[in-house]
Amino acid sequence: MKCIVCMTHVPDTASVIKIGADGKHIDESGIKWIVSPYDEYALEEALLLTESKGGEVTVVTYGPQRAEAGLRECLARGAHNAVHIVGGESTLGDSLAIAKVLAAALKDREHDVVLCGIKGVGTDNAQVGPMLAELLGLPHVSGVTKIEWSDASIVAHREVEGGYEVVESPLPAVITAQKGLNEPRYAALKGIMAAKRKPVEKLEVGALGLDESALAGVEATYSVRSLELPPAKEAGKIIQGEDDPKAAAAELVKLLADEAKVF
Amino acid sequence: MDYKVDMRDVKFQLFEWLPTEKLLENEKFADWDRENVEMVLDEGLKIAQEVLAPTNEDGDRIGAQWKDGEVTLPDSFKPAYQTLCEGGWVGIINNPEYGGMGLPEVVGTAVNEFFFGANMSLSLTVLLTRGAGNMIEIFGTDDMRSIFVEKLYSGEWGGTMCLTEPQAGSDVGASKTKAVKQDDGTYLISGEKIFITAGNHDLVENIIHLVLARTPGAPAGTKGLSLFVVPKIWVNPDGSLGEPNDVYCAGIEEKMGIHGSPTTSMVFGQNEKCRGWLLGEELKGMRLMFYMMNAARIEVGLQGSSLGAASHQAAVAYAKERLQSRHWTKFKEKDAPQVPIIEHPDVRRVLTTSKAYAEATRALLMQTSYYIDMTHATGGEEKERYQSYVNVLTPICKAWASHWGVRVADMCLEVYGGYGYTQEYPAEQYLRDAKIACIYEGTNGIQALDFVARKLPLNGGKPIRELLGKAEATFNKLKGDSQLMEPAWMLGAALKTMDTITKELTKRPDGILITLLDAVPILDMVGTILGAHFLLDQAVVARDKLGAILADKGIDPEDEKTYMAFINDNAEAAFYHNKIQTAIHFAYRALPTVTAHAAAIRAGELAPMKVVM
Ligand SMILES: Cc1cc2nc3c(=O)[nH]c(=O)nc-3n(C[C@H](O)[C@H](O)[C@H](O)COP(=O)(O)OP(=O)(O)OC[C@H]3O[C@@H](n4cnc5c(N)ncnc54)[C@H](O)[C@@H]3O)c2cc1C
Repeated sequence: MKCIVCMTHVPDTASVIKIGADGKHIDESGIKWIVSPYDEYALEEALLLTESKGGEVTVVTYGPQRAEAGLRECLARGAHNAVHIVGGESTLGDSLAIAKVLAAALKDREHDVVLCGIKGVGTDNAQVGPMLAELLGLPHVSGVTKIEWSDASIVAHREVEGGYEVVESPLPAVITAQKGLNEPRYAALKGIMAAKRKPVEKLEVGALGLDESALAGVEATYSVRSLELPPAKEAGKIIQGEDDPKAAAAELVKLLADEAKVF
Repeated sequence: MDYKVDMRDVKFQLFEWLPTEKLLENEKFADWDRENVEMVLDEGLKIAQEVLAPTNEDGDRIGAQWKDGEVTLPDSFKPAYQTLCEGGWVGIINNPEYGGMGLPEVVGTAVNEFFFGANMSLSLTVLLTRGAGNMIEIFGTDDMRSIFVEKLYSGEWGGTMCLTEPQAGSDVGASKTKAVKQDDGTYLISGEKIFITAGNHDLVENIIHLVLARTPGAPAGTKGLSLFVVPKIWVNPDGSLGEPNDVYCAGIEEKMGIHGSPTTSMVFGQNEKCRGWLLGEELKGMRLMFYMMNAARIEVGLQGSSLGAASHQAAVAYAKERLQSRHWTKFKEKDAPQVPIIEHPDVRRVLTTSKAYAEATRALLMQTSYYIDMTHATGGEEKERYQSYVNVLTPICKAWASHWGVRVADMCLEVYGGYGYTQEYPAEQYLRDAKIACIYEGTNGIQALDFVARKLPLNGGKPIRELLGKAEATFNKLKGDSQLMEPAWMLGAALKTMDTITKELTKRPDGILITLLDAVPILDMVGTILGAHFLLDQAVVARDKLGAILADKGIDPEDEKTYMAFINDNAEAAFYHNKIQTAIHFAYRALPTVTAHAAAIRAGELAPMKVVM
């Protein structure tokens, strides 16, 4: 099986996020970057699959120079090859632009399955996987928590409101991984050592027949007007209701309507 | 239980202070560079936090259990141990020819800090396993190497060191366990060992004991001891397992801490069927054992330092959350709100002192580990010089780092007030677990004796003079420095005091008694001087880096308000700023203890010898 895993390099969820000087991006200084946790499920699935059925795993990312560290991490976990499409600062967050770049890189690369995380932590758009599938003309299954692999098809469980849906799909297909699909492994020291020697193929967006400035400009489908931190959490209110539940309920309704404005 | 560590400081000490990058250029470490070593650190910390730390409480509350000779560890220990084995973490610094990972000692020390800090009990087993493997690799026959070493470095089998017997604690030479040579070249072992860490447990299928025992007719004392490889289950020449080897675990100790580490009583040969192989030559056992003990002593110091550092991190987090009392600038305002206790000057002092000792002990251990690497990376005289540094520093690593690790854990516990005394927070477990580091691998008292009697006079005192000479160089570099001049002069004064004392002690008629009486303070004096020297040296590095950041951002350090606002907002700048403050604090608070000890020593205070007890 030839597996492709699309990886995005994101700020560690434990990072303290500050808004950058332009008010449209986060301030990247002092941020620790990690492989997006959902992509870890995607990678793990690909590794398990190739361990049982043979084949190889290629990890692809579209991102700035620093994203190479994420690729190395995937190589350390056991991926065989890595492809780095360098760029992405100007198209950050534009799911369609990202999907176009990835599709251009993948279309001539042999693959039996493409695995993505359901979403990139941070932007949380959950669009790149399905868009990529459309652009590649492949079926897709999103939010997958379980896969049974056959040679030319899969049966996948996908999360839906209140339960799961069982979907059968031919291969090749694009799958987006949801938490619960598997338990990502830790990198072994041997793997970390070997990662140094594995090649990372570098590609320019231009070499894929695309123009990044157009993707970020005239063709852009997404733009950030401004970025704000959520307001600081205020202390919660506790309504004492033991003595007079009726009055407490009335007070709760009043607060929900007047202060929280939920209705 | 959460585990936190100042990874920024670990990486600083490794890459900005020590020339680890240069070390990695050595062909011995061809597989490693800064980038993948940083990945090793990150992954090691992740495993410490996500895999080891969550089982630390089980280790404490469930602990090791003994029944009918068998010992079980908490269920959660098994997958955690498996993760360490699968990732190659057991043999992290060991020879790749036998499945080790070949990382430098200094990197191993950094990673082991995380493992000890996250779960000391479990990591202790790993320490002994790695150590036993290393002994067999160095001193074993080819057959022994091919049978045992890889199994130990992979963690598939466990290892122990068996010295202690009821009448033979510090006085190892009093051991009675017997070894009698058989026709087939193996030895029949019989005797009892006590306090044996990980002597039996269910994480591994076989345990390889290194047992000190006495052959018939051997002289008394340590010179009569030989070392044997004694497996729990016999191993055939082809590496397959044979019959159980008549090794029985008669019980485990109930103790103050490290409940997840079984401290076993082992009976060898109760049915006269326990066999072992001689390691090295007969009567050379103690010399060999010292090889293992010296390595283990550094790691035991690391246990103290790691738990101190972990206690500090946990206490800082708590102090930021706990609201109590008004701000000190508003003590007269009755209605002023309660503030996080980290605002109180006394709490800040404690947290700064604990930070300083955590970083100073870390520096000592990293520096010593680096010297060990240099003994492998160099040859001839240079190698000997590095080895002499390691020899002198080993008892300081063991005793100074464990002593201050426990003190740090103790001061940090008080930061929590009453909550620190409860099991709701990790502070009390850290303190209980850390204490053993002062005792095993030779008590700190014995370490101090080794230091004053053997290490100070080593090679005519040359190594200690050279090591203190490096501290002297730090003093000379900073004695005219506008910011660090006073701390530097305090270091200078401490060095002078140390010099005077060593000279006086060799001349005084009561010199021997005073040296024995004051061995522990003397070791502490040297540890403190080295600690101050390391922190000041690091402060200089930090100041350059901070200066570069300030210049880059156009911040004037003289403009206090802008400067502090900037520092509070920029984590990288704050880190370097703190390194400087920490060094200053340590110089002012710790270095005067050198002079204080010196007063008693120079006066020849002998009350302990006169008190009727
Ligand atoms: C949890 C735990 C795990 C252990 N694991 C192991 C293990 O894996 N393998 C192993 O072999 N042992 C192990 N030990 C034993 C440990 O190394 C000994 O307990 C230690 O060396 C001290 O010996 P002792 O307990 O007999 O104390 P003693 O030797 O009786 O010492 C008591 C006190 O007297 C002092 N003292 C003794 N002699 C002198 C002297 N000449 N001058 C000045 N002071 C002196 C000591 O410093 C100490 O303060 C372990 C112990 C514990 C508690």
